[in-house]
Amino acid sequence: MANEKDRSLDRRDSQEQVVRKTPCISRRQFLKAGVAGFAFLAGSSGVRDMLELVAFAEGEQLALAKGVVLVDKKLCSGCRTCEAVCSTYNSSGRSSSALARVILEKDYLKGDYEANTCFQCVEPLCLQACPVEAIKIDKKSGTNARIVDEEECIGAKDCIGACGSVFTPPRPRFDVERGVAIKCHLCFGDPQCVKFCPYGALEFKWSDDGVRTGYPIIKEG
Amino acid sequence: MNGWAGKILRVNLTERKFENIPTSDYVPTYIGGRGVASRIYWEEVPPDAGAFDPDNRLIFATGPLQGTMAPTSGRFMVVGKAAQTAPVEAYCRSGCGGHWAPELKWAGFDAVVVYGQASKPVYIWIQDGKTEIRDASKLWGLDPFTTQEMLWKVHGKEARVMTIGKAGETKSRLGIIITDSGDASGQGGYGGVMGSKNLKAIVVRGTGSVRVARPKELMEVARHIRSLFSRPSKPGSPLEPNEPGFTYNIWGGQGRGQLTGAPGELWNLCSDPNSGYERLPDACYACPIGCRTRVRGPDITSGVAQCTQSNMYLESIMKDPEKGYSKLTWEAGRMADYYGINAYDIHGINPWLTACYEEGVLSNKDTGLPLDKIGEREFISELLRKIAYREGFGDLLAEGCQRAATKLGGKPEKLMWVLYPRAGKFGGYREHWLYYGGFPDGYAISPLALMWVLDNRDAMVSHNFMSQLWGAATSLGYPPNFAEAEELIPVIKPTMKYAYGSEKAAEFFTPDGKGLKWDWAPRVAKRFFERTILKDSYIVCDVAFPFLYNPNSGDHVGDSSLESKLFTAVTGVEMSEGESYEAGDMLCTLERAIQAREGRTSDDDVLRDICFTNKDAAGRQYHRDDLERAKAEYYKLSGWDQTGTPTLNRLKELKLSDVAEALQRKGIITPDQST
Ligand code: SF4
Ligand code: SF4
Ligand code: SF4
Repeated sequence: MANEKDRSLDRRDSQEQVVRKTPCISRRQFLKAGVAGFAFLAGSSGVRDMLELVAFAEGEQLALAKGVVLVDKKLCSGCRTCEAVCSTYNSSGRSSSALARVILEKDYLKGDYEANTCFQCVEPLCLQACPVEAIKIDKKSGTNARIVDEEECIGAKDCIGACGSVFTPPRPRFDVERGVAIKCHLCFGDPQCVKFCPYGALEFKWSDDGVRTGYPIIKEG
Repeated sequence: MNGWAGKILRVNLTERKFENIPTSDYVPTYIGGRGVASRIYWEEVPPDAGAFDPDNRLIFATGPLQGTMAPTSGRFMVVGKAAQTAPVEAYCRSGCGGHWAPELKWAGFDAVVVYGQASKPVYIWIQDGKTEIRDASKLWGLDPFTTQEMLWKVHGKEARVMTIGKAGETKSRLGIIITDSGDASGQGGYGGVMGSKNLKAIVVRGTGSVRVARPKELMEVARHIRSLFSRPSKPGSPLEPNEPGFTYNIWGGQGRGQLTGAPGELWNLCSDPNSGYERLPDACYACPIGCRTRVRGPDITSGVAQCTQSNMYLESIMKDPEKGYSKLTWEAGRMADYYGINAYDIHGINPWLTACYEEGVLSNKDTGLPLDKIGEREFISELLRKIAYREGFGDLLAEGCQRAATKLGGKPEKLMWVLYPRAGKFGGYREHWLYYGGFPDGYAISPLALMWVLDNRDAMVSHNFMSQLWGAATSLGYPPNFAEAEELIPVIKPTMKYAYGSEKAAEFFTPDGKGLKWDWAPRVAKRFFERTILKDSYIVCDVAFPFLYNPNSGDHVGDSSLESKLFTAVTGVEMSEGESYEAGDMLCTLERAIQAREGRTSDDDVLRDICFTNKDAAGRQYHRDDLERAKAEYYKLSGWDQTGTPTLNRLKELKLSDVAEALQRKGIITPDQST
């Protein structure tokens, strides 16, 4: 236990010691477009206007996310309130662990619990992998979170596979009922999991300059 | 349907058949959990079936809140004819927390009703609406932890498992059903019932969801509840609140993690960051409180344990007071879980054996147990192993302390009476706060005695009334059980007024301090039982609900409307707090009808003689005729006759006409009784 690496806390450290190299996203063009389909509490119309998708010409940088949800593993009780509130809030009141954009992994017998949040990667493999470019940058809310445009998502699940190639468990999930991928969008700047975690284990780390985290800086087993 | 998954799964183990029935046959009328299960029990369990008969039902019931973010909704109820109830097996219930209940809901079921008997060991596998009966011969004989590891290999580690250990397999009346590292359905002996059906485990995995009618409202209520009970932990000190002066609110003022263990060797080790031992917060699904902790260390069995298991071997502390709560104290509880033994009855067996040994009525030779070593490792490991395998004297003890002592008769039986206070046909449950501060040297408090005679197991398992006394003690600066009863009264006057309608409800003693007052006891007990059955039906946790004592406010008044608000937000079914009590009243009467059918009358609502001769810490005592009058008043308030049987009219008013007719056919009620 003592020599076991605490990934969640490492993640914090890596914030400070990031390589100041901004990777490029090639072969992709992002078009400015409206987006809908974020089902916040039974309707998507209210959210439509919250998003703005920003274009990047060939070779241009992908804007860094300005926020990320960090975990202090020592405080986590394994209550899964984060999962519960995430699905309730973001999936029209459908409460489920399977629809949560934060994933609790628990070894119940050893008592080892880990909340796995999306890194909002510097170089998001999920975004790169999507065949229809349905994963976009949330400029409208100002978080620059990497988000799924559920209206464009064709359910290919390539984002899940791509994220899963470096992170376990993969952070995007599949909403079987609606046939679309879902992933953490930082609740458009007001992360509910952070607000509702009763143990203070989650923290919303914000930087106007962008947070340098996730792939390629961090890779998980 | 919002809240409910929509289906109840019936499993016929004899014929290896499944059947789905619509939950809407039972809800919203019977709400969920204990309410729905009691109705199913009424319909399906033949009154003369024994606990171990294939005809007995083992009902695992969630409520509308399970699988949602409703705080403390990780729970479910087990209902069936209890093997532990003594001397006559009877209707009972047992709760269990953890993470199994939401998984069942996500798999598409509100409840599982198991009946019949498999011809060889099996387990039930439920995944997203699909169900299967599988061979468990390779699992039979394994402890619950190895069993789970094996099942996780087959079904993935996300699957949640309710399983029995050796004690369940040997049909012990102390057999529990356990999940994960230490959440269990303990009282009732349902592990033994499961063993009698040759059922080793129920494994569930669900990727579906539960629909919430009003998510925003649910989030608001959840937020409010969290603000009442909990604060984020202090970084680096996870059991302390980050807000100075905030009192965590477990039973009126106990702290986060406080229900696991006590000060001593183990906690000292855990507070040394270099020791390799840790105490970390741990919670059931969606729980903001975290009453228990996860304990880990290099040479102890890691895991979660509540007060029942973690404080099971208090004898080890008495034996070595300098160490206090030691690694052995911890391990003893873990051993009970390993064998799947009900730690709460060990709380009876240990002091009883100690008394028998000290009085010279039982020896090492009589029992084959090292009674001279009670408090040491050797004793507890021998005791638990012998019970689990029904070896020698363990075979007798596997019947539960009350049955074992009764069988021995004479002095050993008398020594048991102090520990098992409910006389009549439906006892078998160890004393648990019949007196404030404990038996025999605590304080007699009239509602406690009335609740004890009326319940179908240990009454104070629902701590809500008690939480006011403990809370007041804590607010006054005492440990929860160590205030003088008189001191508590001014503190709880406002909370009792809020909870039961008058400050007078808090006046437990006559003005001269010499006697007990009983006038409010029936009304207090009535509301107590209504709230308790509702809590077990929605289902929320006893540690938080009903919320009757707030340690963080000036007047300490709680808020008893929280549960019905959760219910409405989740289901969309409007139900005010007032209406909820009508439902609670109906469910209490339905349960009583079940018990009446099984032979319960006012003659069974009695305490042992010793409870009427024992003088409490202030020289007061319970008097039999006071208790009888309070009972009669309680029956009247409930619409039951003087024998404690629900009347025909009352059952009809409650829309339980079929119940009324069935009781009439059996001659349990007659039309003229119903006036
Ligand atoms: S690759 Fe995974 S962790 Fe990174 S932004 Fe995408 S979903 Fe999040
Ligand atoms: S920030 Fe929002 S979307 Fe992301 S995991 Fe938390 S609750 Fe879910
Ligand atoms: S809500 Fe907080 S304490 Fe609970 S599982 Fe999530 S991160 Fe851990």
